[in-house]
Amino acid sequence: MITGSEILLESFIAEGVDTVFGYPGGQIMPVYDKLVNYTDSLRHILVRHEQGAIHAAQGYARVSGRPGVVTVTSGPGATNVITGIADAMVDSTPVVVVAGQVGTALLGTDAFQETDFIGLTTPITKWCYQVRRPEDVAWAVARAFHIATTGRPGPVVLDLTRDAQVGIAEAGHKKCDFIRSYVPCPKPSAEAIAEAAKMIDAAEKPFVVYGQGVILSGAEKELAAFLDKGGIPAGSTLLGLSALPSDFPHYKGMVGMHGNVATNVLTQDCDLLISVGMRFDDRVTGKTSTYARQAKIIHIDIDAAEIGKNVPVDLGIAGDAKEVLAQLTALIQKREHADWETIAGMYNAVEKHKVIEPEVYPESGRINMGEVVNKVAEVSEGKAVIVTDVGQNQMIGARYSRFAQTRSMITSGGLGTMGFGLPAAFGAKIGAPERQVCLFVGDGGLQMTIQELGTIMQERAGVKIVLLNNNWLGNVRMWQELFYGQRYSATRMLNPEYSSIASAYGLKYRFVEQREDLEGAVREMLSDDSAFLLEVHVEEMGMVFPMVPPGKSVNEIMLNSNDWFSYGE
Amino acid sequence: MENKLYVVSVYTENQVGLLGVIANIFTRRSLNIETLQVLPSEFEGIHRFTIKTRTSQDQIDRVIRQMEKKVDVIKAFYYVDDEVLIREHAQVGEFLAAREAEYESDK
Repeated sequence: MITGSEILLESFIAEGVDTVFGYPGGQIMPVYDKLVNYTDSLRHILVRHEQGAIHAAQGYARVSGRPGVVTVTSGPGATNVITGIADAMVDSTPVVVVAGQVGTALLGTDAFQETDFIGLTTPITKWCYQVRRPEDVAWAVARAFHIATTGRPGPVVLDLTRDAQVGIAEAGHKKCDFIRSYVPCPKPSAEAIAEAAKMIDAAEKPFVVYGQGVILSGAEKELAAFLDKGGIPAGSTLLGLSALPSDFPHYKGMVGMHGNVATNVLTQDCDLLISVGMRFDDRVTGKTSTYARQAKIIHIDIDAAEIGKNVPVDLGIAGDAKEVLAQLTALIQKREHADWETIAGMYNAVEKHKVIEPEVYPESGRINMGEVVNKVAEVSEGKAVIVTDVGQNQMIGARYSRFAQTRSMITSGGLGTMGFGLPAAFGAKIGAPERQVCLFVGDGGLQMTIQELGTIMQERAGVKIVLLNNNWLGNVRMWQELFYGQRYSATRMLNPEYSSIASAYGLKYRFVEQREDLEGAVREMLSDDSAFLLEVHVEEMGMVFPMVPPGKSVNEIMLNSNDWFSYGE
Repeated sequence: MENKLYVVSVYTENQVGLLGVIANIFTRRSLNIETLQVLPSEFEGIHRFTIKTRTSQDQIDRVIRQMEKKVDVIKAFYYVDDEVLIREHAQVGEFLAAREAEYESDK
């Protein structure tokens, strides 16, 4: 017989956990006390704020494909992870959060550091459960890992009362692989797949939009084979980036608000849209009432609730992307759509000339954000894991990074959580220590979770932090310039002396303001495996183009502040 | 799209907190729950929620799928209320008419 705390830790180990991100406190102390006995198998990483723990766990999960694990105390410890739980929910990230809770006798009494954590997290978790007895701990942990990692992954919360931690029960973990009411991976209908193959064979201008579902299901090879055989051009959502290598012949770019011209225009010109493992977010679709209305739409997703949720579809296939794509590839005819793919190339040439070249190779002025991202892509040969914060750094990071392998883009997509970047990058480095992890972050987002520099220092994690400093909250400033009559409300930001911050945390540091210093600084940053803060003073009024303004159709594209894309180009 | 009164029938595991989970699906979409009933179903250990709500066909389809997505939900169905309502209404009507007739004949 052992305590519930020991059962928890042994269950973690039985589930293959080797790293726990967390922060101790009153009502989780019994677990932390027993943790001392398990340091051979479990590495605990002490963050500086619980929000850092959950974002680090997300970064760890996204880069490794294994669930991120978080332990925090009750009350404020628990509420501080809520942003990350919501983020993991909308971005389908497997995370298991164990929060302490007051003893069962005190539940509902407004005891010190008691919050109704189950009530708070029910709408933003895949599953949550309050564990009241030590004999339920192993069962709950097994169920938590099964639910978090199978089907469409997501966050799971265990609210672990003090009784469950200190009480005694039988040791022994039994993995869970079946829950009667839970069907994580629906079996795709053979008739639907046959119908889809017919639609694909009949299409003259097919187009694929894929999302993170491809990465989550490990369907990268199957997607590539499908596109090769069908001769079909494809665009990626923000979270789908890196599922196909950037130089893959049928890959035409990113879709959505700041996506590439070709992918957005093809969406409105295709006769068949095949969407794989994506959920038609409004940042992807623009105005949904005009989105791909000329086309038939096939939607493949493991989550049946996504099919027809935002965009009406002609054929839905609920199933795992890997399985569905493999079956589809076997059925479709080998085809080429050379003219159609050439058109995509022409639209991308317009973008290259009007947007990319001025951004990446300007002749004068301050350094652009795109130059920095492009330089990192060049020097790292697209092999780095790219992590971004949220805002202009994110969009420019997504647009100008190149990817040689999968699971190389980690960003907060659905929730758009500023402050995500630094802890997520740190978690990614823990999850993939052999890879370079490079963060693009703005001055706003860095300061939201800047305390995690302490964690990076303590754990000696070699995160490469590229601070694109424009002394503004750049994305909001850009919207104020474009849509709010240049009334810059609360977006100008006075920054601290980052060199002093770097030195206080023992980080290597370079400041770059001149174009000619950029390449040397990036090379220096990527030359070894130690943490590095590269601050680049970028163009303060920098913009992100192309842009599909909110409420517009995705082929209504601004190429810059006063030039709109037109088909004649 | 035309709004109709739907009867939603949800079979679930007997887990603490599920009422909130189910109710949230309606709340998030600003759907008013007209009636709600939770009873043990004809299957042992499984509960059945019966909920009436007024909404469109599209929305009720989404609601059903969101319900079935929940870990502890086994199956969810919906019916257009008309048939059920008409039958129930007729039965209650007959019952009341009979009672009234009894009252009249007693007088």
